[in-house]
Amino acid sequence: MSEERKVLLELKKLKKYFPVRRGVDLKALEDITLKIYEGEKFGVVGESGCGKSTLGRVILQLYPQTSGACIYYGRTRDEMCPKYLAKEVAKLPEYQKKATEFYQKSLEVDKKADALRKELDALSARGTDQETRKEAGLQKKLSELEFKSKELRKDASRQLREGSRTVGSLILCKDLPAVQELFSKAQKETEASSAAIKKYRDYEKQYAQSLVEGKEDADAKAKMEAAREEARTHVEASRAYRAQAWKEYHGKDILPITERTQDPAYQAKLDGNYETGINLGKLTRDEMRELRREMQMIFQDPAASLDPRQSVGKSIEEVFVINTDYPADVRKEKTMELLEKVGLKREHYYSYPHALSGGQKQRVGIARAIALDTKFVVLDESVSALDVSVQAQILQLLNQLSEEKHLTYFFITHDLGVVKHFCDRILVMYLGNVCELADSKELFHHPLHPYTESLLAAVPRLKVGQEHSTESVLEGDVPSAIKPPSGCPFHTRCSKCMDICSKEKPPIVEARPGHFVACHLHNTKEEG
Amino acid sequence: MGKVLEVKDLVTTFRIGKKEYEVLRGISFDINENETLCMVGESGCGKSVTTLSIMDLLPNNGRVVSGSIKLNGQELTTMTAKERNGLRGKQMGMIFQEPMTALNPLLTIGRQLTEGLRLHLGMSKEEAHKTAVAYLEKVGIANAEERMKQYPFQLSGGLRQRIMIAMVMAVQPSLLIADEPTTALDVTIQKQVLVLLNKLKKDVSTGVLFITHDLGVVAEIADRVIILYSGCKVEEGDINTIFSKPLHPYTIGLMNAVPNVDKDDFEIQPIPGTFPNITEEIGGCRFHPRCPYATDRCRAEVPAGMEVEPGHFVACHKVEEEMRK
Repeated sequence: MSEERKVLLELKKLKKYFPVRRGVDLKALEDITLKIYEGEKFGVVGESGCGKSTLGRVILQLYPQTSGACIYYGRTRDEMCPKYLAKEVAKLPEYQKKATEFYQKSLEVDKKADALRKELDALSARGTDQETRKEAGLQKKLSELEFKSKELRKDASRQLREGSRTVGSLILCKDLPAVQELFSKAQKETEASSAAIKKYRDYEKQYAQSLVEGKEDADAKAKMEAAREEARTHVEASRAYRAQAWKEYHGKDILPITERTQDPAYQAKLDGNYETGINLGKLTRDEMRELRREMQMIFQDPAASLDPRQSVGKSIEEVFVINTDYPADVRKEKTMELLEKVGLKREHYYSYPHALSGGQKQRVGIARAIALDTKFVVLDESVSALDVSVQAQILQLLNQLSEEKHLTYFFITHDLGVVKHFCDRILVMYLGNVCELADSKELFHHPLHPYTESLLAAVPRLKVGQEHSTESVLEGDVPSAIKPPSGCPFHTRCSKCMDICSKEKPPIVEARPGHFVACHLHNTKEEG
Repeated sequence: MGKVLEVKDLVTTFRIGKKEYEVLRGISFDINENETLCMVGESGCGKSVTTLSIMDLLPNNGRVVSGSIKLNGQELTTMTAKERNGLRGKQMGMIFQEPMTALNPLLTIGRQLTEGLRLHLGMSKEEAHKTAVAYLEKVGIANAEERMKQYPFQLSGGLRQRIMIAMVMAVQPSLLIADEPTTALDVTIQKQVLVLLNKLKKDVSTGVLFITHDLGVVAEIADRVIILYSGCKVEEGDINTIFSKPLHPYTIGLMNAVPNVDKDDFEIQPIPGTFPNITEEIGGCRFHPRCPYATDRCRAEVPAGMEVEPGHFVACHKVEEEMRK
């Protein structure tokens, strides 16, 4: 796989907890970090309740994420310029100030804890009954203080992390106001460029319209060119400001905000947080709505996602009514074209969902999803409810559309046979955690995680006569996500469970190029 | 080996509006003792209607028009409703797709398990309890005594399905009908249930009619296979024949449409067209609009079906003609 492929979506430590009752959360997603490339068919497999559907919906912001970021690169900031960017730039000094405050507080708490510790030492040297009781009390107080200081430090680094999303490690700079000024100038330029691009699009439409009508609108064309030029100057200006800030202040005059700030590794980590895409979680409602044209979803049950009282044509046309300003006849023609594109007939425009078979209904769902300039589609078990012969038809259609329109799929399923032949890369999830992520062939030939192995062994094969192995049958059920097991979430059912598995959560390591796995078996091998 | 179930020329119709439509168009098959017969087909092909006809559980607008169903030599179609009620559960048990809807959410597992034992086998409360616990252990449920006191909502899907199996098997019926029992389960749990069913099959002399649409599951569990298409039996044979040399174009299409996990270069080959609705009038072979080999004869004449080899039955004009040569 080439490194040059363009990233479309990046998930950073994405978490989603559903509150169940006070203090109890259902941990649906834990620290999901991954990249989805443009034009890729990305498959997600796992048992029910592993969080695959939740992941799809969080990406589309149908559920708000609890923490972490979901960054979209399908549109540049110059084009879109979401409102949160300016706010973030304005908040930069606040982040720095708060981080400092939190850290100072934690130091104070540490001092208190130290004093207590000395007192404790003195006490335990003696040791009458009364004093032991006092000692226990102090011990409790001490652990409370330690906890508090840890939390304060966490708060401090959280503030720095938030700041670094906008400016990277420049958040540590002593001369932050200067950085901020440069960035806010850059921000203004970006805003201007996005306005210019919008203008350009309008003129372009006007010009195209004039061409259709047969008389070329020279005025519109000139304005179009002017707007393009304007946009380009603004984009360049904003880049120049950012580059200047970066050049003048990067790695210089770093404030000792916390004990880690002088560490180059930490600075690099903050630089890594620097975002160039659009953070979907921070968009306003209207902005997200604008983006939804490009990010669509196709559901499992095609019958439930169509209005039984609306004809198929009307259902699809609604997309144009809401999102475009096409006149009625154009809308109808576009809908008819779409119907043909997904393998239905023009007559189906007038039929109602009950008259269609399951496969046909799913085709309507697909038509709706690709009606606008879609780039990214989440398919949530979209072929699971269909019979095999129809399922194959729909998969073929999806393949064809992805090539034609350069779509990126996020394909959620529990059917390993389907992902193997449909997807380029596959993510295996278990209890909201990433187990394994690899190219589909690699995953099926060299599964590394024991969970992947047992999933593969459980698939019913189209072979007769061979003694069906019963050894690798997975015992028991998926544990509850409200109280996930400590350490590796899979250790309760794993046949290769070791001591460390129940204590420590395995980190995700790249065991082979492009093949990521979260398992102690492969983690230790790397070190040895 | 005696025959547990013999079905001959079964025709079932459904009334929609004022017209009656044939859903089963003369299906014949039989099941021997200790044998698992898998019935495969797409949704709407009449798999479930077959089981409902056997159990006499058809909805109000459906009825068996002609044909015979014999359970252990007894003719079922001429029996009164009361007599058939006596057979259900005792001589023929059924496992459904959705274990949650098949279990009563208001009663404990124990109550539901012992009910059948007391009713059909006339056991006392203590006896029934003991047998039920023994069967729970047999289907691989740990601490069975505890489970007897629990309610269905406290159990996972896999456990519920195991309980359904225990409930049906405890009465020791001569025929077990399993209607897509693993479809609603995850692959890992599905595997557990299939392993369990295979194990239980060896212990008891029950004939099993297993309905599924998943050919992979068929390969794991079946002795013999019937392929249904739109209310007609298109192919029948033992498991090895069906998987090694399928003859009917529909069977072949179905095999090619399944994404095979073991193959690397798999090209998705769908069967063109859509599955016909029962209300559609299709002359000749029901499959001809989707069949790549369809001829004029297929459009006009219903294929009678022939035995290609002993035990291997195919209903297709093309196969028949090739055989003649």
